[in-house]
Amino acid sequence: MSSPDAESMQMIEIHNLKKNFGDNEVLKNIHFNVKKSEVVAIIGPSGSGKSTLLRCVNHLEEPTSGEIYVEGVLLNDKSLKGRAFQRHLNQIRTKVGMVFQQFNLFPHMTALENVMEAPVNVLKETKADAEKTARELLDKVGIAEKADSYPGTLSGGQKQRVAIARALAMNPDVMLFDEATSALDPELVGEVLRVMENLAKEGMTMLVVTHEMGFADRVADRVVFMADGYIVEEGTPAELFRNPKNERTQKFLADVAHADV
Amino acid sequence: MLDWGTIVHYFPFLLKATLLTLKISLISLLFGFLFGLVAALLKLSPNGLLRLIGGFYVWIIRSTPLLVQLFLIYFGLPQLGIDLGPFMSGVLALALNTGAYNAETIRGGIISVPSGQLEAARSLGMGPALAMRRIVLPQAIRVAIPALGNNFVILIKDTSLVSTITLVELTLTAQRLIGSTYKPFEMYLMAAFLYAILTTTTSVLLGKLETRIAVERR
Repeated sequence: MSSPDAESMQMIEIHNLKKNFGDNEVLKNIHFNVKKSEVVAIIGPSGSGKSTLLRCVNHLEEPTSGEIYVEGVLLNDKSLKGRAFQRHLNQIRTKVGMVFQQFNLFPHMTALENVMEAPVNVLKETKADAEKTARELLDKVGIAEKADSYPGTLSGGQKQRVAIARALAMNPDVMLFDEATSALDPELVGEVLRVMENLAKEGMTMLVVTHEMGFADRVADRVVFMADGYIVEEGTPAELFRNPKNERTQKFLADVAHADV
Repeated sequence: MLDWGTIVHYFPFLLKATLLTLKISLISLLFGFLFGLVAALLKLSPNGLLRLIGGFYVWIIRSTPLLVQLFLIYFGLPQLGIDLGPFMSGVLALALNTGAYNAETIRGGIISVPSGQLEAARSLGMGPALAMRRIVLPQAIRVAIPALGNNFVILIKDTSLVSTITLVELTLTAQRLIGSTYKPFEMYLMAAFLYAILTTTTSVLLGKLETRIAVERR
């Protein structure tokens, strides 16, 4: 299951991934790997398929064809059916944290209960252990004082930080961020990006779909530019942002820079 | 004019009969809620056969009168060797009936929960059943409470129909007292008053529950 050479181990491997919604080909033959502790930013225009790619990595979208391996385990294992496949998915998903654009906090639970929910009910941790971890995580994302607040009372930035703590509570090996700051008021973006940046520094493997070019430039080890369901170009932030080779990439970056002015 | 002497004298009898009405209501309400929950989940099941079963139950109940359902169970089933007696028959008919309406109410509540909630739960490794129980249903029921309350109130009033199968609840007690007193206006007025007390109490309690949930989430 795990590679003997841990250094070169691929956290995520994607081969020949295709995804159609009806006649619409959203992902066209994607090849893509993420190494352990690597931070990969996926950028591109809306409709390029970047969120769909991310959602395939924990099977919130079912690939039309192709293979996705998470820590060497085939995610879309066609030999498993029904409940066996659900168990297989649940097992992998406990190791893959996901943060959504719309936060998706559970509104009927406090921040603390949100963070404790899966450790208690999925990992079967004791409430005392889960609460201890949850409080530490809320402290880590800077909102320990909001532990007993319901999501409805929190700002967008606070909600997203609770959502990050909730994902971290499962002690994941990789974190997926699906436009985590796109629904936030501009002045709240920084507090969430700082939390993400700290995670990256701690060595978390991260796959980040984002429109924050500054964040991608500063934090990512590698930047992937997607358009029309293809990976058009990828490279280090320096390569991709300062010396883009593909015309589509150049145009996209020019458009984004223009929008910033 | 009203014969107050009759009212004062017979009110305790009707009050006592209200206890049976309350008992029938509460038991039917409980089972009706469970039937509704199960039928809602059946109707939303990925399994086609289960969806069909849930859909058939809701359709057959909602397209036939409660009185006919009650007679089928109380008078009809004994012919097949199933004699439930008046109390069980009454409660079963009422629970099955209100359950079909609850099913649609609860299903509506489940559908109203944003898909992101299920996705978040699944992304945390929660299976479909766990995610439904812990994340979706608690939110769905909260949404459904006002409409469920409406179904509860209708159920309480519908319990008067079991007076036709010899259950001496509030309505049949009133009828019997009329037989000996010849005071239909006073008797039915008292019965109406007592039903109104039951239904209004239910509405007020559910209203309080709604407010409490709203405050809690603020």
